[in-house]
Amino acid sequence: MDVELIINGEEKTASIPPETTLLKLLREEFYLTGAKTGCDVGDCGACTVLVDGEAVNSCLMLAGQVQGRSVETIEGLANLEDFHPLQKNFEDLGSLQCGFCGPGMILAAKQLLEENPEPTKQEIQDAIAGNLCRCTGYTKIVEAVADAAKEMREEP
Amino acid sequence: MRPFEFVKPDSEASAIELLGKLSPNVRILAGGTDYLVDLKHAADVPKTVMDISRLPELKGIDEVDDGLRIGAGVTHTEIMQNPLIKKYAPAMIHAAHTIGAVQTRNLGTIGGNLVTCVPSMDSGPTLVALDAEVNIVGKDGTRRISLTDLFVGPRKTSLKSNELLTEIIIPKSSLGKPANFYKFGLRKGQALALVNAASSLWVKGGCFKDLRISIGAVAPVVIRCLKAEKYLEGKKIDEKLVQEAGKIAVTEAKPIDDFRASQSYRNDLIAVLVTRTINAAIDLADKD
Repeated sequence: MDVELIINGEEKTASIPPETTLLKLLREEFYLTGAKTGCDVGDCGACTVLVDGEAVNSCLMLAGQVQGRSVETIEGLANLEDFHPLQKNFEDLGSLQCGFCGPGMILAAKQLLEENPEPTKQEIQDAIAGNLCRCTGYTKIVEAVADAAKEMREEP
Repeated sequence: MRPFEFVKPDSEASAIELLGKLSPNVRILAGGTDYLVDLKHAADVPKTVMDISRLPELKGIDEVDDGLRIGAGVTHTEIMQNPLIKKYAPAMIHAAHTIGAVQTRNLGTIGGNLVTCVPSMDSGPTLVALDAEVNIVGKDGTRRISLTDLFVGPRKTSLKSNELLTEIIIPKSSLGKPANFYKFGLRKGQALALVNAASSLWVKGGCFKDLRISIGAVAPVVIRCLKAEKYLEGKKIDEKLVQEAGKIAVTEAKPIDDFRASQSYRNDLIAVLVTRTINAAIDLADKD
């Protein structure tokens, strides 16, 4: 079947079998390998992308379900000149170690900051509760999201 | 995943028509947070998977003549943000918040949570405590049943393979009714309930009125604790009686013994959760 969608602002089309997940579509048709295949059952959050601005597990959607919709992946966040404030603060604080959870973690945080520019620590923790990190213990991730929120409030 | 065909009807009417034509070789996909996991590991897949996640008729939360109508395709996130739910059934917001994590709440639907019919579903107890009903549409028309009549067994409902659950109705008599939901899992995030419970009640002349108690994860389906309800109904509010009702609720459940928790631990939890939800609902009630 054919699917048309917008990925990181660009119109794309693909011809794929109906049982293809959104995750597989992104990674294997468009070579956007930022979204990771972790548990593949919706527990770990490594495959998180934004669909129409909402964080979802891309392993739990069929490609046919995103027909005509807008998908944002980690590859759409930075441009050649600049990182997104979330990416910058994750880097500054050394919030990631192996980095596998990073794309999902940052995109889950992005939805939070778009809806809630001044989140509490508890709200940040709630927003990333679906993203497992086995390296860091989360402390510096939560701090980086708070710092990014502050930066985005000061320089919108 | 094994191959299947994918169809995405654009209206409820065409979904019902397709269901009639393709049943029983078709399965319905809504939020997919449960069903896609199943599909990935299934030895047998249906011939066709029908996506209803974006059907406009299954969306929306509205006040209707007989109460509050919640479209079956409404996501848990939409429930958490809806002003009518906040006004009339705020316990549902708390229940929705305990489901999965942001990513699963953005995808998962309330209708999907109910028809998947796992005993630990977190949408069930609050809706049962609010006397919710569901509308089911098939090719011969619509039928309305009480939510408790939808639940048959673990992952089994009374839906026929050519029928679609389209909306949930909270009756007018339950709108604004003091209610509380409590879930106990092993972690705060992404955990199944060991036990969950909800109670709703009115206080009339210092006495319990129309008390409803519902518990989940401790029987083949989400159940109402009729004996505990009957024990308290009409009696003067008294902390000791509430604790006794918690103990009676334990006798109405049949919890399993597994790697997450023992049967006796779950039994203890039932008594505690039932007591807590009743007390929390009393705190919310106007005392006249």
